[in-house]
Formats: sequence, C-alpha cells, structure tokens
Amino acid sequence: MLLEIKELTVEFSSMHDRIRALKNVSLSIAKGEIVGVVGESGSGKSVTALTILGLLEKNATIPAGSITYKGRNILALDKKELQALRGKEIGMVFQEPMTALHPTMRIGDQLAEVIHRHRKISYREAYQQAVVSLAEVQINDPELVARKFPFELSGGMRQRVVIALAMSAPPDLLIADEPTTALDVTIQHEILKLMQELSAKRGTSIMLITHDLGVVAQVCQRVVVMYAGEVVETGTTEEVLRQPKHPYTQALIGALPDLAEPDQPLSAIPGETPDLRNRPCGCVFASRCAHSLPVCLEEPPVLEQALLEASSHQVACWRRDM
Amino acid sequence: MNPLLQLTGVGKVYRRGSQSFHAVSEVGFSIARGETFGLIGESGSGKSTIGKMITGLESPTDGTVLYEGASLWTGAKFNRLKPGEMQIVFQDPQSSLDPRMRVSAIISEPLQALPAAERREKGSAERLHALITRVGLKMEHLGRFPHEFSGGQRQRIAIARALITDPSFVVLDEPTSALDVSVQAHVLNLLQELKRERNLTYLFISHNMSVIRYMCDRMAVMQKGRIVETGTVADIFASPRDAYTQTLLSSLPSLHAKKVDTEYV
Repeated sequence: MLLEIKELTVEFSSMHDRIRALKNVSLSIAKGEIVGVVGESGSGKSVTALTILGLLEKNATIPAGSITYKGRNILALDKKELQALRGKEIGMVFQEPMTALHPTMRIGDQLAEVIHRHRKISYREAYQQAVVSLAEVQINDPELVARKFPFELSGGMRQRVVIALAMSAPPDLLIADEPTTALDVTIQHEILKLMQELSAKRGTSIMLITHDLGVVAQVCQRVVVMYAGEVVETGTTEEVLRQPKHPYTQALIGALPDLAEPDQPLSAIPGETPDLRNRPCGCVFASRCAHSLPVCLEEPPVLEQALLEASSHQVACWRRDM
Repeated sequence: MNPLLQLTGVGKVYRRGSQSFHAVSEVGFSIARGETFGLIGESGSGKSTIGKMITGLESPTDGTVLYEGASLWTGAKFNRLKPGEMQIVFQDPQSSLDPRMRVSAIISEPLQALPAAERREKGSAERLHALITRVGLKMEHLGRFPHEFSGGQRQRIAIARALITDPSFVVLDEPTSALDVSVQAHVLNLLQELKRERNLTYLFISHNMSVIRYMCDRMAVMQKGRIVETGTVADIFASPRDAYTQTLLSSLPSLHAKKVDTEYV
C-alpha cells in the first residue's frame, strides 16, 4: 500500500466544545489506484485530506490512529519533513483554482519556481519544463499560456494549470479535493479524463474527494463512503454503486434525481446529520435509518466484510446481512 | 390555449463605450400555465439573464416578453402588472437573505409591493405560520436570523418568501445547486408538492441535467446566449438533435453510465 490510514480520529476544540470530526477512519490507496472518497458536507472527507497533508489548524488534535505513507508514519514528521513531502511526494488540487495560484505571477513562472525547487535544476531548464508540463495537461499553445496571468484564463484552464503544478514534481500521490465542482460539466468531463490519463501514464495514485457519485462512477476504481466523520462503506466502485449495503449509501443513491421517475417523489433521507459534539453512542446513522434495530442505538458497528465472497466490500452496519 | 409567458426574439446587449457584449440573442420560447419549463446551459450561457428579464431585474434590449398576453417591458421600464404575481428563488440562500433581518421580516418583505388591504390580509400571523410550517420549518423559527439555519433550511425560507404573495409564476434560478444531494432531494420534493397544491408555473434554471430531467416538462438548451434546442424533456434526453446538447448529455457523469441495478436502490 502506498498510503494506509488506520483508525484515525481527529478532534477540533474551541473555547467551549470539542468536535470529533473523524472517528476510527481507515482507508488505503495502492500504487496507481484512483480512490474516491465520497460524502456530504460535514462527512469528514476534507479533514481526512488535510490530516494526510499535515495542514490541520492548530486547534486540531489526533488522539488516535496512524497514517503510513511508503512505510513512514506521516503523523510523526516535523514541519520541515512535511514540507518536503507536500508538493514533491504528495500533490494537491483543491476546488477553487484561483486560490491555489498566485494572482500577479505569470503561469510559467509559477510552475518554474516549483519545478526549480523540487528538481534542483536551473531556473531556465525549469521554465522549459514548465512549458512541457502545460502541454501535458493538454493546454494548446503552452508557450503563450505560460506568459499569461491566472485572471486571463478560464476556470477550466486554471484547473489544468493547478493540475500541472501538482503533477510537476512529479508526485506519487495526488489528493484532489472537489477538483471539478466549480466547473461546467463539459469541462469537468475533460479534467476527469485528464486526471485518469495522467494516473495511467505515470502510475500516480489519486485520492479523489467528491460529493458527486457520478464522478466516482466515471473515474474511480474503489470508493470510500463517509458519513459524519466515519467510513460507513467501502469497496470497488462497481460493488458499492451496484449493490450498496449501507442504508446511508442506499439512501444517497436514492436521493439522486438521476434515476428517479419524474412523477415519483425522490427518496429523501429524514432528519439531519448528528451533532459532532455529542456523537451518538451507537451507529452514527441509526437515528435516520429506516432499518435500525435496538442494537444500532447502543453499540457502534465496525467495518466488516459485506459478503462472504468479496473481501473488498466492507460495510459498518449491524444489518449487513440484509 | 394562450401561453402564460411568451418570449419572442429577446436579446440583451451590454455596452461599455464602443464595446458591446451579446449576453442573450434572439431567444424565444413559451411556457403554458401549470408547466415546468427548464432552461439549461453552462456558465455564461445567458440563462440567468433570461430569468432576470422575466422578473424585471434586467431590461431586454430586443424582443418582447409577454405575460398573459401583455408586454412586460416598455423600453427599459418594467410594467408591474399585478404585484407579487411573479417571484424568484435564487441559488445561494446565503447571499439572498439579509443577515440582519429576522425570518418573519424576510418572508413578509415581498408584501411591501402590494396594496395596503391585500398586504394586511396576506401578511396575517396565521398565514405566516401556515406557510412556514408548509415549507418544513417551525413557527419558532420566525424570530431567528438566517445564520442560525443550514443551507437547506435557508432555501426553504427563500421559497416561503417567494410564496407569501401567492404568485402564479416562479422563476427558480439554480435553487438546489448549493445544496447536498440528500438536502436537494427534500427541496425538489417540496417544490413539486407546492406546484401541485398552488397551481404554480415554474421556470427552472439549472446547469444540472439530472435535475432538469426530473423536474421539467419541456426544456430549452442554451449556449452562448442562444437557444440551440427546445423540446419535451423526454424527447431531448432520448434523442438530442443538437451537437451541443449531445456533448452536454455525454459529459454528464452519471450513474447511468455504469448501469446501476435499481432494484437495490
């Protein structure tokens, strides 16, 4: 495994409260694999990414768990070692490309600076390399784009530049947090295809964080479904989307208008996400679940194999036999 | 039957000095009473500008917009035919609700446009209570401020505000695009129920093909300010004729692509 997260718990404390944002999160990413981490707001998918990158705010604590990257425990690294890891070994792409780019620096210079720093080559060579990497993310006329400022580019072009930036080191793992959410569907389609191609060509693993099950279906080999800071289901994309075993995954797919009959109401999930300050002692989804049993309210289920024949498909549910 | 709303040759040109930008060109479609008409397009396609020209927020530079057969615009002047007859719900309830107003004041604000007698009648406490509970909130929520609500709840407040004047026609401009999928499902269901109960006619503006397919009867596809295809939702999804519509449909990352077994869903 390239990356292995084991029973990770993350808490944020404010003056009055302590919020458990992640609880016992385990997931792994193999070399060359594209893994989707899917969930709604507050599910903990972005906190998971920030924890891997060592970018949590100061009020965060990690009371339990481990993150192993290429056999090294990331949580034990100091600031300098983390900095060396970020960008060089682990690249990142966030939702809004404008926030990742320097607004008053030309595209070519931004890329060249990173390449110059990570590859220890002269600035001139780095600039040439920058133009090559722009071509690699399928930007037409890379020399011209290299001389432009971010505001002169469209949203889709900017996100290509950010991907070029993230891939320039080149990293072994790319963490992409909602990379196409701000983009139009036709542009999204191209960016996802590009990420898939880069992954296949260079063997880069991608952790793709998204709220969109359609995006998962299009590009991911495996998927991790998160709800209220916990992993509730994981498996191959096929397994999870075709035969969702967790009532939350089932409800999430049922809530999509994609497959619904226009004259039938959408199957909306009743209730609201639990208060993360006071997590329920049983299953985190029990209060909204149509199938809950008394045990669901008392004891949290653990992530276990969903079916005897498929070891990859795991679900945290007392009624996984359902 | 005469359509409720009819646009013919509508255009909007923004000018600055010698430069001009055609945001909308030669747009024509009609919406029948009781229909949900979808307007789909990507960012910058002009779909929101059309919503604004219908509700009086932007004046068209070309063409006519007829509502119940009467022209809505005389040059740049909006003819407010029946105040409160038409309402709009915007995408982002974060920015469309005044953070310093209580929910009761937010919901009652559109009544300011009505004559005094009608305002008193429609703004009665009973009606306000009935409306807030109908959109799925509680009576005690009326005294609170927008920041105390989740995104889905805020959109319910925006819907209540749109309905307080008993409109016949509502423009929904990306009403669920800022919401989580499970929250979106609640809001879409609510919009469908309200439409049936109140005989509403919707113009549903969205970039989301799945939402348009689920919500609308007929639709128009926009690209760069022009309509490239109009038809029933069933026809366009089954056999899109325009190349751009085909690209849009094939770009849609959908569970359809993987043929999900619906029996498990």
